[in-house]
Amino acid sequence: MAPSGAPALECRDVSVSYGPVAALSGVSLRLAPGLIHAVCGQNGAGKTTFARVASGLVRPNRGALFISGQEVATGNVARARAAGVELVHQSFALPPSFTVAEAMEFGAEKGTPIYSRRGLEARWKQHLENLGVRVRLRDRIRDLAVEQQQGVEIARALVAEASVLILDEPTAVLSPTGVEMLFDRLRNLKAGGVTILLILHKIREVLGVADTVTVLRGGKLVEGPLPAGDTTPQLRLAHAIVGSAAEQALSGADEAALTGAEGRDLGASVEPVASVPATPAGPVALEIAGASTRADPEGPALADIDLAVGRSEIVGVAGVEGNGQRTLVRMLANLADLQSGRIALAGTDVTRGALAARRGAGLRIIPFERNTEGLSLASSLWENWSARQLLFGPLLKLISPAAWRRDCDLSLKQWDVRYATTTQPAGSLSGGNAQKLILAREVDADASLIIAAQPTRGLDVGATAFVWKSLRAARERGCGVLLISSDLDELFDISDRLIVMLSGRIVAEFRPPYSLSAVGAAMTGAR
Amino acid sequence: MMLKGRLITVGRAIAFVLLALILCGIVFQLAGYSAKEMFQSIADGAFLNPGAWKNSLRWALPLFITACGVAISFRCGFFNVGAQGQFYLGAIGATFVVDFMAGWPAFVVIPLAFLAGILGGAIWALWPALLRVRSGTDEVITTLMGNFIAGLVLIYVCSGILKDPSGTGQVMASRPVSPAFRISTNSGLSPTIIGIVIVVGVAMWLLVNRTAFGVLSSLAGRNPIMVVWQGAKLSRLGIAGFVLGGALAGLAGTIEVLGPNGRLVSGFLPAHGFTAILIALVASLSITGTAIVSLFFGGLAAASLYLPVLAGLPSAAIDIINAAIALFITARTVPGLARLAARRRASGST
Amino acid sequence: MDEFIIATLRYGTPLVYVTLAGVLAQRAGIWNLGLEGLMIVGCCASVLGLVQTGSLLFGLGLAVVLCVLGSILLWFVVEKLRANPIIAGLGLTGLGLGGTDLAVQAIYGSQASVTAPEGLPRLGAIFGPAVGPYGVLSILVVLMPFVVIGLWILLRRTRFGLQLAAAGEHPFAARSVGVSPSRMRLVALSLGGVLCALGGAELALGSLQIFAYGMTAGRGFMGFSAVIFGGGHPIGSSFAALFFSVVGAIGIRAQLMFGDRVPHDLLLALPYVATVAGVWISGRLRGGARAAAVSGELRDY
Repeated sequence: MAPSGAPALECRDVSVSYGPVAALSGVSLRLAPGLIHAVCGQNGAGKTTFARVASGLVRPNRGALFISGQEVATGNVARARAAGVELVHQSFALPPSFTVAEAMEFGAEKGTPIYSRRGLEARWKQHLENLGVRVRLRDRIRDLAVEQQQGVEIARALVAEASVLILDEPTAVLSPTGVEMLFDRLRNLKAGGVTILLILHKIREVLGVADTVTVLRGGKLVEGPLPAGDTTPQLRLAHAIVGSAAEQALSGADEAALTGAEGRDLGASVEPVASVPATPAGPVALEIAGASTRADPEGPALADIDLAVGRSEIVGVAGVEGNGQRTLVRMLANLADLQSGRIALAGTDVTRGALAARRGAGLRIIPFERNTEGLSLASSLWENWSARQLLFGPLLKLISPAAWRRDCDLSLKQWDVRYATTTQPAGSLSGGNAQKLILAREVDADASLIIAAQPTRGLDVGATAFVWKSLRAARERGCGVLLISSDLDELFDISDRLIVMLSGRIVAEFRPPYSLSAVGAAMTGAR
Repeated sequence: MMLKGRLITVGRAIAFVLLALILCGIVFQLAGYSAKEMFQSIADGAFLNPGAWKNSLRWALPLFITACGVAISFRCGFFNVGAQGQFYLGAIGATFVVDFMAGWPAFVVIPLAFLAGILGGAIWALWPALLRVRSGTDEVITTLMGNFIAGLVLIYVCSGILKDPSGTGQVMASRPVSPAFRISTNSGLSPTIIGIVIVVGVAMWLLVNRTAFGVLSSLAGRNPIMVVWQGAKLSRLGIAGFVLGGALAGLAGTIEVLGPNGRLVSGFLPAHGFTAILIALVASLSITGTAIVSLFFGGLAAASLYLPVLAGLPSAAIDIINAAIALFITARTVPGLARLAARRRASGST
Repeated sequence: MDEFIIATLRYGTPLVYVTLAGVLAQRAGIWNLGLEGLMIVGCCASVLGLVQTGSLLFGLGLAVVLCVLGSILLWFVVEKLRANPIIAGLGLTGLGLGGTDLAVQAIYGSQASVTAPEGLPRLGAIFGPAVGPYGVLSILVVLMPFVVIGLWILLRRTRFGLQLAAAGEHPFAARSVGVSPSRMRLVALSLGGVLCALGGAELALGSLQIFAYGMTAGRGFMGFSAVIFGGGHPIGSSFAALFFSVVGAIGIRAQLMFGDRVPHDLLLALPYVATVAGVWISGRLRGGARAAAVSGELRDY
């Protein structure tokens, strides 16, 4: 695998469209063997589609794929795998009920027709050890920590002597130390001759590990491959990723936050936050005292949570995913099993209150999962929009749908949602517009506390800026905001205060200017 | 947009029903019957013969009531496929009342019989609803098993407590309902029955289209998680829809016993529940649609009696038509169409 | 005691075959409610094939071919037309019930049942008197445990089984290692069709040597429930099916012992009640409602 001759992976004029949306248009790219390549871009830039085309999961409408100089039929995973290309997915693609050994076996090419459990474990033990993945082969995938799952997924991808390994957003679920470990692992693989293609959106991480960098925007290749390193002009990359800064009307800090460009550690580009009172005055929007829950299906138990969110305050919640953020939101929505402690909303005790009562006290939730917890995609816009208010009225009184549709129309216009009619299904909206629909429902004059869980995940730059603007506006109106995000740049940019969760506890609290290294250490429990 | 969406829904339903009919034609032809003659006889029996429409309407009215109930529980997201059992239990409940209160005045007995019928159907829906909501027991299985159990209960009461001693051994049936308690003749078309159907239809239409319950239950049916995050008590919505569905099936059973049937017969109308489910699905769970589609399936039900008696053809033909429609009616795509559209777009954009 | 075991095996063997077909479908991610219809087709085709040609093998072959074709039809409708599997499955069941009725009427006029001249080979005929009272059982009863174990090996101890499970549990995972979930489902349903044909043949020719309209009497649905009760595991689900059969045999036994003093029709309902109880228990144990959750909802209205 010497870096000579044919490129390890080459795409020629690849175009993909999903329905009317072009995800990739005319992308041509040659990746030299034996190096770590990065492809960057915003959400929706076509990075994941590119990775899936290269690995055969998506058949492009047009274009050709060459692996080590040989043309490979597109849209055929088996062929791409036979040619040595393996893909590690953003959200891991292993059946949760499988054991580690079974997860290794189900994608393997060769082996005995009938195995025994012990034989299977013996077969894969060495392979995992060689890659430095420390897990027990009998453990089920669903019981592994995310870092371990990723390790298993990478090991799975390397079962069949891959020559090209593609990783789609591998750092999204990792803590800063986890990211460093991953990068070490990738450098080892590179030393072993594997060509690596990383799909990333943070410039800082790209420059830390990659040899070349390529930028996609709006499905087109706009920059690269450039050699990556200390000499690469970061601002040029940042502009390539988000497009013209003037067009997007972003502040410098927001743009830096969006691209993850350098400068966080110094706190230099953080906007000075308007004087936030050290202890919020008046009845606080949310007060949690000594709250503990049972373990929840969606996360660990919470232990002894004390948290107050003042009126006119945005409190950020940082933490590696799966450390109790979901349990926290579910506890506030009365969906997790609260064992002890007290919860008060705007001065009203709601410890035993049902979610309906809590919503009556001003609780509003922008949930983690927009398409399942937030909206009913098959239902119309007006039904989605009116659900919250309809639940407060009598169920059997006659209503006028026409009047609700009119109100919905007015509200959605105010929130700048792009749609044709209020009777179209919510599933026909783009991600950004769907999120705006949720905002239009949840952010009203009676709101006293807004929980925003990953409110910008998967949104494009414009929609992200809109969500931030809305949350800031809610703060100005006297609303408390609890922002849960796995994007530290986002949290640093708009939080007035930042707490860090680890294993169901709040382990640290920060005020601006934030230090990436300090917050990162708190997230992993390092002292 | 709204109108266009509806037109697409209606067009697709008609297209899949036609597809099912074509397949049935092939099956008939393969089985050695003339498909043309078969369809001709079905059309005659359902609509074309003089007076056939009256017979079709007689079958359509109870089907409409049961189908409304099915539509409502499906809208709430519950696969209540137990309409048959709920229908039987309603019929049994009503028969008990008219049988044991034989000497009482009609204005007391008839309302009580309706109450008993509605309660019978509701109770036969309540236990699967509770099992589903309380312990997550799959309601498809419980309601299907409920159908079998209800069928055996029907045989049990018809051959035991309610048995007509004068009946001959072949068919087990209850004593005939006293003429004083009948709400229609055997024709099944009386002002009382038509009045009940209109009242039920209007009430269900209002419930579905003009109340918060209608909007929220349809949201819950399509995405229960979202409604939970809005703070709704999902179990209450679900049980309400489920039990209402059972109550309506029970009401239909009552109408059959007090109306055209005039007595409880073991194993009577075995396809009623399944046909009602089909009606609700073909109508895309809309109440207005259910009313129209009921007429079509009422016609098929009338034809299934006409075929063996007057045309000398097997009534299984109607079962096959119904089953073929069920097979296709929930289909969402036509294979190749999406790919074709994508290709056209792709070539158009270059 | 022997009689009781024989009754259980007679009731249970067809149920176990059809349950295994359900297990295959469930592992591949489809909840197959068409089992009832496939099973009755198996009953009808084996009897009619035998009666018409006089060849038992032809009857069995016809049953297998028709059941596999029926399974492929269900696969096409669910996978390619994206129909709701529950409703489509019920439709297939209706098609099986109506189609067998039509076939019998087309051939024999308005006759209610068809009697076969011979049945499946009996143990007594093969092994002689050594097997005692068990000689009345058919060869498919003896084959049943081997099929169960074979399917267990196939599903739990081969890479094919893992890929099938991946196709059902996480289709994206299957696709990303180059396994087509759709093709896996086709294989699983077709194999299930073969098992349904065997179950139907055993029911019709194992002891009774008769085909009667609706003779499956919900066994397909009970098989479906046994899959839920047994958690989709081939051996667990087979035991669940045998449990339902034991309850059925107890009902038959009670009738013989108590005669008219117990309501005969209500005893017949015992297996159905046991099925409800089984599904209820598995719902409690596993936090349940998986069938409905997996099969998706009706979105198009």
